[in-house]
Amino acid sequence: MAKVLVIADIKQGVLKGSTLELLSKARAIGAETAVVAIGNNISSLAADLAKAGSDTQYIADDAGLDLFSAGPYASCVVDAAKQSNADMIWFGFSEGGKAVAPRVAAQLGAACATEITDVTLTNGGIEIVRPAIANKVMQRVKVNTKQLVAVVRAGAFQAVEGNTGKENVVKLAIPAADLKAVIKEIVSDATGEIDLADADIVVSVGRGAKDQAGVNLVKELANDLKAGFGSSRAMVDGGFMAHNKQVGQTGKIVAPTLYMAMGISGAIQHLAGMNGSKVILAVNKDPEAPIFNVADYGIVGDLFEVVPILREELKKIRK
Amino acid sequence: MKILTTVKKVVDVELNIHVKDGAIVEDGLQYVINAWDENAVEAAVQLKEKNNAETTLVSLGGGDNADIIRKCYAMGIDEGIHVDDPALAKADSAVYANVLKKVVEKGGYDLVITGKQAQDTDSGQTGIMLAEALGYPCVSNVVSIDVLDDTHIKVSRLGDSGTEIIELALPGVITVSDSINEPRLPAMRGIMMAKKKKIDSMDLAGLGISGAEAGSNALKSEVVEFMASKTRKAGRKFEGDAAKITAEVVGLLATEAKVF
Repeated sequence: MAKVLVIADIKQGVLKGSTLELLSKARAIGAETAVVAIGNNISSLAADLAKAGSDTQYIADDAGLDLFSAGPYASCVVDAAKQSNADMIWFGFSEGGKAVAPRVAAQLGAACATEITDVTLTNGGIEIVRPAIANKVMQRVKVNTKQLVAVVRAGAFQAVEGNTGKENVVKLAIPAADLKAVIKEIVSDATGEIDLADADIVVSVGRGAKDQAGVNLVKELANDLKAGFGSSRAMVDGGFMAHNKQVGQTGKIVAPTLYMAMGISGAIQHLAGMNGSKVILAVNKDPEAPIFNVADYGIVGDLFEVVPILREELKKIRK
Repeated sequence: MKILTTVKKVVDVELNIHVKDGAIVEDGLQYVINAWDENAVEAAVQLKEKNNAETTLVSLGGGDNADIIRKCYAMGIDEGIHVDDPALAKADSAVYANVLKKVVEKGGYDLVITGKQAQDTDSGQTGIMLAEALGYPCVSNVVSIDVLDDTHIKVSRLGDSGTEIIELALPGVITVSDSINEPRLPAMRGIMMAKKKKIDSMDLAGLGISGAEAGSNALKSEVVEFMASKTRKAGRKFEGDAAKITAEVVGLLATEAKVF
């Protein structure tokens, strides 16, 4: 039986949705499941991790692991991978996962695949599917090694509730800090905002908003819907939106139920970050904007005119 | 400070890509410098201007790479190495990392700067694996670089909970985001001078690497088939009176798409 080790995605002490998604997929392919959780004051998550479907929880809990550092985090994953004898080691889609996965693969001598959308076990071997060339093609990749380290694309695997595993905690040794890449501080993103990766609805703002007043207008729409508030690159470069709000190949890859692109033309790098969304609504003045090629519903119009109407109409139906 | 940047020649993602019989249709493709590597080159040239760094680029594979290497010369890179070999045809990130390791060992660089990923594979592994192979520290997704002294740089990286500020001891490897800079357009004078510069070309044997170390037996994974992406079809586009069409679309979101 294949063994899958899932890296728990923990942000500010809270378990993120990708952990349940990955564990659900591992169970769906009939694998034994283990999870590794790394951080500070996170031991209390063991029960949640079992509930999410893991049968063993490898936990590295130490004040020294409070701030993300790729080297020590990789050491913890390698340790858990060896102890669990995992065939596959899966990270949820995150900047941390993307930084740690290649290190783990190098240290284990394993194959590494990022942004996988599917995985199959074929008489003893592993095959994965992943996008390439800015999502313009998909590739089926055969793994030649016994082990695979993978980063799973956001939204690729579906969460299934009710696959409770069992609580079986294994404490990991705490690795030394990386003295050659010393993390000095993390300048935190604003707190209290809805995480783009978890949001059921994402409203994103683009160049069509022109300036801060336009950004604020679109943000009101996001607030109404309790949606994640994202951005195209143009508005980040323009200084109107924070880096961590950028949706696209650089930035966040999102796959919400509804993606609302407000004044976004739809550069390839942006499309590659959101075209896995279930439903896409686009508002743009330019009827030829590429965003309309992927949008299920397109409104040709100026967002300054359309957004206030959109807010009113949405209020009516959401009452 | 000696800096090495890596530059990959990749398919132009702005053009349409077609797949037939499990392979990408070569007809009509164009090849360009990987956009993220252009950011790496710009970062290196800025360090040359500000901190007197010596700058070298290396490009692996890709056949005739003179065009992209000369473009980097025109941007300000001092020297260029092109390693090409038939054995690299199907190379994966681990193989590239091992080849680059030899280049770094031969040249003795203090800092290696790569783009955060290549736009043909979108893997984002080579730079990090290179650091692992060399035993160097590494920071990925870097958006700013400050030289502290001859052996330390301070970088910031976009992480999951904010901007991480990290002090990196050299020699080290960083991979850069496109948020780090806006690559310059080469000036005419640079373009003219770039034409005369030589490119140091070599095959794997020239680096002391056997074909077996890089060839198909060394591959940890290989692409068996390309498939067309599930392309989204353009849906319905509504034009006309804003109040009317917006109300109509909201109605469809509720009744047809059932998202509300």
